[in-house]
Amino acid sequence: MDEPVVKLENVWKIFGARAEEAMAAVRSEGIGKPEVLERFNCVVGVQGATFEVPRGEIFCIMGLSGSGKSTLVRHVNRLIEPTAGKIEIMGQDVSKISESELRRIRAQQIGMVFQHMALMPHRSVRDNVAYPLEIRKVSKSKRWAVSDHALGLVDLTGYEDRLPKELSGGMQQRVGIARALASDPEILLMDEPFSALDPLIRLQLQDQFKALVAQLKKTTLFITHDLDEAIRIGHRIAIMKDGVIVQIGTPEDIVMNPADDYVREFVQGISKLKLVKAHSIMEPLASYSGPTEGAPRADEGADLDQLIDLAVNTELPVIITDGGSDVGVVTKPRLLRGIQGGKND
Amino acid sequence: MTDATTELKVTAASDIEVDRDALDRSIHEFAGPNGDYYVNAFHKIHDATSAVPNTFNKWAAALGPFWSASRAIWGMFWTFLILEIIAWVQIGRGAWGNPGADMAERAERQQARANELLERAAAATEQGDIDRFTKLAENIQRAADSSFEKAAAAQSESLGIMLTGLVMLLVFKLVQGLYADRIYEKQYSRWRIDPDSTESGRSTRNTVLGAVLIAAIGPLIVYKFTVNASLAMLDAFPEKEVSALFLGEDGGTLFSSLASWMEAKIDAAALAGGDVFDGIVAGVRSVLDALTIALIGSPWPVVMLVICVTAWRAAGPRVAIFTAASLAYIALLGYWDVAMETVALVGAAVLLCVVIGIPLGIWFGKSARAYRAAEPVLDLMQTLPAFVYLIPIIAFFGTGNPPGILATIIFGMPPVIRLTALGMRGVPDSIKEAAVAFGASKWQLLKDVEIPLALPSIMTGVNQTILMCLSMVVIISLIGGGGLGKEILEALQYAAKGPGLLGGFAILFCAMVIDRIVQGAFRREDEKI
Repeated sequence: MDEPVVKLENVWKIFGARAEEAMAAVRSEGIGKPEVLERFNCVVGVQGATFEVPRGEIFCIMGLSGSGKSTLVRHVNRLIEPTAGKIEIMGQDVSKISESELRRIRAQQIGMVFQHMALMPHRSVRDNVAYPLEIRKVSKSKRWAVSDHALGLVDLTGYEDRLPKELSGGMQQRVGIARALASDPEILLMDEPFSALDPLIRLQLQDQFKALVAQLKKTTLFITHDLDEAIRIGHRIAIMKDGVIVQIGTPEDIVMNPADDYVREFVQGISKLKLVKAHSIMEPLASYSGPTEGAPRADEGADLDQLIDLAVNTELPVIITDGGSDVGVVTKPRLLRGIQGGKND
Repeated sequence: MTDATTELKVTAASDIEVDRDALDRSIHEFAGPNGDYYVNAFHKIHDATSAVPNTFNKWAAALGPFWSASRAIWGMFWTFLILEIIAWVQIGRGAWGNPGADMAERAERQQARANELLERAAAATEQGDIDRFTKLAENIQRAADSSFEKAAAAQSESLGIMLTGLVMLLVFKLVQGLYADRIYEKQYSRWRIDPDSTESGRSTRNTVLGAVLIAAIGPLIVYKFTVNASLAMLDAFPEKEVSALFLGEDGGTLFSSLASWMEAKIDAAALAGGDVFDGIVAGVRSVLDALTIALIGSPWPVVMLVICVTAWRAAGPRVAIFTAASLAYIALLGYWDVAMETVALVGAAVLLCVVIGIPLGIWFGKSARAYRAAEPVLDLMQTLPAFVYLIPIIAFFGTGNPPGILATIIFGMPPVIRLTALGMRGVPDSIKEAAVAFGASKWQLLKDVEIPLALPSIMTGVNQTILMCLSMVVIISLIGGGGLGKEILEALQYAAKGPGLLGGFAILFCAMVIDRIVQGAFRREDEKI
């Protein structure tokens, strides 16, 4: 049960008529994106992407437009064929399976949500949600029941017989999510699902989605161009630039230890208050020599926000505990540096 | 980055000096030979603030179209070539032409006729005849005199004509001289934007081409219009002589041999594919027969009721009332059977168009290559006048209703194909991708997504096809098609105004009823989505 649900190994995608030649040249000569464009007139979409997503994790792929994130995620259900590399879903190599088996996996194991909803305008909300089941030739009574249940999960009970155009953008995207959930898939692929919505609705949907996925334990690949969204939703985040995955890590990892200047620039504007935990900024109790008498205590999982609340009322540092025993202290200078993003002096 | 030389300075627009070096180099590059002159001229044009030309290109004035050709200003070349030729024709007519010649000739003829009449008057015995002939002769004599006068007047005008020509030529030259640099500067501006497809400089090719065009066009036109007795060679294409060149003296004309060759080929093809063509005709006939039985075989009250109810359900009560009135007109004037035959003809044609056209349209919508290949054929089907393909249709399929339906299909099918293809291409990629992502097969994608989303466009195509088919009703009667078209054709042959108009109204009502019903039905369909 511990094998990853989705596993990509050195996946490459090169677009263009001479993709094979270009791939061979990349392998033998190690040429980069500009040379491939110049010599073969091919565009490199994804360069050597490797990652694993364990069961139940929300894995965010973050990058600006054109960074290859949508291309990458479409490899998982083979909407795009990789030029090179291996893709496994629950231990099964998707590039080796037959056309009909692929359709079965798409219909049963993978749900997908699109940026522009992509609902069928001529079908009712209920029939839209039931479409993945209809493809699998599930009986009408069964698929209506399932689709009503899925609509209930996204709080859309009562809208079953409406046409998509009668619903607001946020509601339409909830229909999209219900459709992705209808066939009870193992994997959810979310392609910038909330990008086209206005900020308030987006926040609401993010929370709703996070709760829903935690409850249903779906393995999720979530694409976004918004780092805030990635941090809110993702257990782990992969940052992409020009088709390369620059860094993979937990939100805290990424914010505290950006891999390069590109990531650092992104992370700069992010508020660290809720992200950075005490254990990553504390100094060991042993090396601290100041007074600790009467100092407030906090768990090592406490975030900066909580530490600040404790620190404002005292001149003393905050003592950090782990399971009841004191392990370290957070002094004022460390706290302030932590808010800045963990710069050490 | 910001040292003294690259420091950004903001200067008022009035203080900015024009930097001419880069501009001069570019003009030199554009103009090629004689660049200095054009640099100078373009500067003057660029500095000018009024629309009045301030340069004079003496070469353009002297050489006229030859100059514009050498500089590849083809619009100016053709305009002034034509204008200068008109001036030259005037000069030629004045100098060596005979302006009053045709008038003088007519005067001679009238004089001769008058003399002849006078002779007859002299020879006549009865008083009435003498008076009549004398009267006629006098009239014609007067006409002859006036013609002589006009001829003389035209003669005396020849100097005037020549002077007009000279003045015209002078004006045209002047205009060319004054505007040549301005027009050339426009070409320069175009060249700066698009140097690859705008000609520049002076090339031998253009110079020679211009010279050849002027030499070929000018003298011939001036000759033809100034000399009264022109060469036969120039008046009509020497088709017989050219034919003889290819086929020998007794080989007949190119036309006759080519026509008979094609006739033989068509006959052979019709004979060789006889079974196939007969099969097609039989297929079409079976569709037509089924519709005919339904429309004419059924008792007329049933058909009428069904049509009226259909109109009501599809398009509402107003159309239903209009339909009932139209049907009453048709029935009362005894057109019922022929009208139903027309409806059967159109219906069969539309049915076949839709059955063949929609799958083709789906294919063309999916394959850009197939569509590119088919597009010229579709264009041809729509633009070719129906009369042109009626003849091969007779050759291959004979005459009567089924060949008429085939002719109707040729004309009526393109819209449904085109609009189906258009609708298929208009289906958003995101929705198609979503269906595929949920495991839809190609067939499911087509059935559940593409066709439903393309349906409004397909319906528009079907509607267009129905109207096109209706417009062929009269034409197919030329190859033996029946129905109301035949009535019209017969009325046309005998110039029978009454029957023709009545039949025409019957066709009009048929067309309007069908159009209203179909449009009403599609409008309701559209409102659903």
